[in-house]
Amino acid sequence: MSYEAIALLMFASMMVLLLTGQRVFAAIGFVASGAVLMLYGTGGIEIPFSQAFKLFNWFPMLTLPLFIYMGYVLSESGIAEDLYKMLHVWFGKVRGGLAIGTILLMVIISAMNGLSVAGMAIGATIALPEMLRRGYDKILITGVVQGGSSLGILVPPSVVLVLYGMIARQPVSQLWLAGVFPGLLMALMFVIYVWLRCRINPDLAPTVSEDEMNMPLAEKLKLLRAGILPFAIFFFMTGLFVMGVTSLVESSAVGATAATLAALFKRRLTFSVLHETARKTLAISCMFLWLILAALAFGAVFDGIGAVRAIESLFITRWELSPWAIIVMMQLSFIVMGMFLDDTAMLVIVAPLYVPLVRLLDLGFDDTLIWFGILYTMTCQIAYITPPFGYNLFLMRSLAPPEIRLIDIYRSIWPFVLMMALTIAMVMIFPQIALWLPQTLNVR
Amino acid sequence: MPRAIRAYVRIMDRISDYVGIVAMYLIFLMIGILLLDAITRNMLTIPMHWGIEFAQFTLAAYYFLGGASTLKNNSHVRMDLFYDNLSEKGKARMDLLTIGCLIFYLSVLLIGSISSLEYAIDTGERRFSMWNPSMIPIKALMVGCIVLMLLQSIALVFKHIATLRGETLT
Repeated sequence: MSYEAIALLMFASMMVLLLTGQRVFAAIGFVASGAVLMLYGTGGIEIPFSQAFKLFNWFPMLTLPLFIYMGYVLSESGIAEDLYKMLHVWFGKVRGGLAIGTILLMVIISAMNGLSVAGMAIGATIALPEMLRRGYDKILITGVVQGGSSLGILVPPSVVLVLYGMIARQPVSQLWLAGVFPGLLMALMFVIYVWLRCRINPDLAPTVSEDEMNMPLAEKLKLLRAGILPFAIFFFMTGLFVMGVTSLVESSAVGATAATLAALFKRRLTFSVLHETARKTLAISCMFLWLILAALAFGAVFDGIGAVRAIESLFITRWELSPWAIIVMMQLSFIVMGMFLDDTAMLVIVAPLYVPLVRLLDLGFDDTLIWFGILYTMTCQIAYITPPFGYNLFLMRSLAPPEIRLIDIYRSIWPFVLMMALTIAMVMIFPQIALWLPQTLNVR
Repeated sequence: MPRAIRAYVRIMDRISDYVGIVAMYLIFLMIGILLLDAITRNMLTIPMHWGIEFAQFTLAAYYFLGGASTLKNNSHVRMDLFYDNLSEKGKARMDLLTIGCLIFYLSVLLIGSISSLEYAIDTGERRFSMWNPSMIPIKALMVGCIVLMLLQSIALVFKHIATLRGETLT
């Protein structure tokens, strides 16, 4: 059997197995270990297990459980409620103000945590019920929470960029800085979209005219204090890291500690909250780490059969694609695969195949791999929220109030997918949107 | 279901839970070590060269120890496009059909881990670093955890069969 046929067979059998609903890590691990035995006989039987030590040596992986822990502590800490109250009073009178405030809330949460889970949980449990109560259009606001929370992996800190940094061997601090402006740009687009929609069709978002809005300015200013804790957490974690004071893994520990202290300070920290948080952190961390372990075995087989060379020859020699066409092809393949495959597994399996190729391409500017990491992360965001396989979709379904039905969730996302695609296009046309900040600060 | 099977499932679930509780508190150990590392390196300028490495060992122990309990609690992500529409019994039937994949993967991991442990014992393998720790304890722990996960998978098989027969095993 030719190597291309083996690769295709592996992908096809993985897809079929995934559709049966078996645990994703088991499906991927099964295909990988089956392929190892077929290709190398019993001599290769150690390959799947030896990936545990490859993972072991990727020490930035330590940030993953710490960020997950931090996300859960933050959503328990009551910081989000305060922030929401502040944004609510300050933006409540603008048309669509609560939805705009929710987007800002998501940006702030994203700047404190590297995953989209925290934003999702906070958006679905705090912002959604409040907006529904005030008669906001449910499809609009469901989309706002979905799109907004996905910013968590683009705005620094970001776990996806840590994983990408390990695979592409790029400095995480540069990658994080590169995510700042694309993330803000995307958020700005969301805000403009919501504002325009509400201008054109005022029924979508009734204005709020309540006594609680008409508080004296001094009171309003007092509410701004809600922003202090998030800023402090952002500074202690991302700030110290980007300035080079703490290393990446240290800064995630500092962030986790800061979040715990914030919860303690707000008197939300009880033993049962801590126990629950630790339990949920273990569940999510194990899910990710076992998935990565299995995907690494899959990737090792691909490596062994020379898939990188095969893709290179396919794109460059056989299809004679130009460098930009190759980048577009890669993005499209990420989006298509991301619909069906878990995006962490996708990163571990596919990125090692693409990264060497991106390194070869001459696109006319430096730091292509950092730029590509940002493009990749944004396609991940699309993958997160597009059916049939999207984490956010599942989370949303389990967290949102019952009047939000699955069909509402599906209908709500497409404008946000379009805006994300537009941001990707803009970052492709103007790489400086991503690269200006890291190249200017240049903290390596 | 026979009493022996009931007892087996109950005992396995208990063990998975207890091991899971040990695992979940390791998160605080990781935070503690890394925080200590940040403090000693920056404020006291006494670098703990073993800090990150110790945390790496803890992370490996963390997800291996958590393996059995996350299998038991069904916290691994599935692509539930079709799976979610199945009835309770339909899900059990589908799982019974495909759980062989899980058992196969875990068996390959087990064989690999045992041969890796044997190698570590025979050669007295140590990690090449300043701290230079022995690799035997972590590898032994991994073997033990994979065995637990396999035993838990077998308990899952019994649970699925029980669901198909309209019984519940707890």
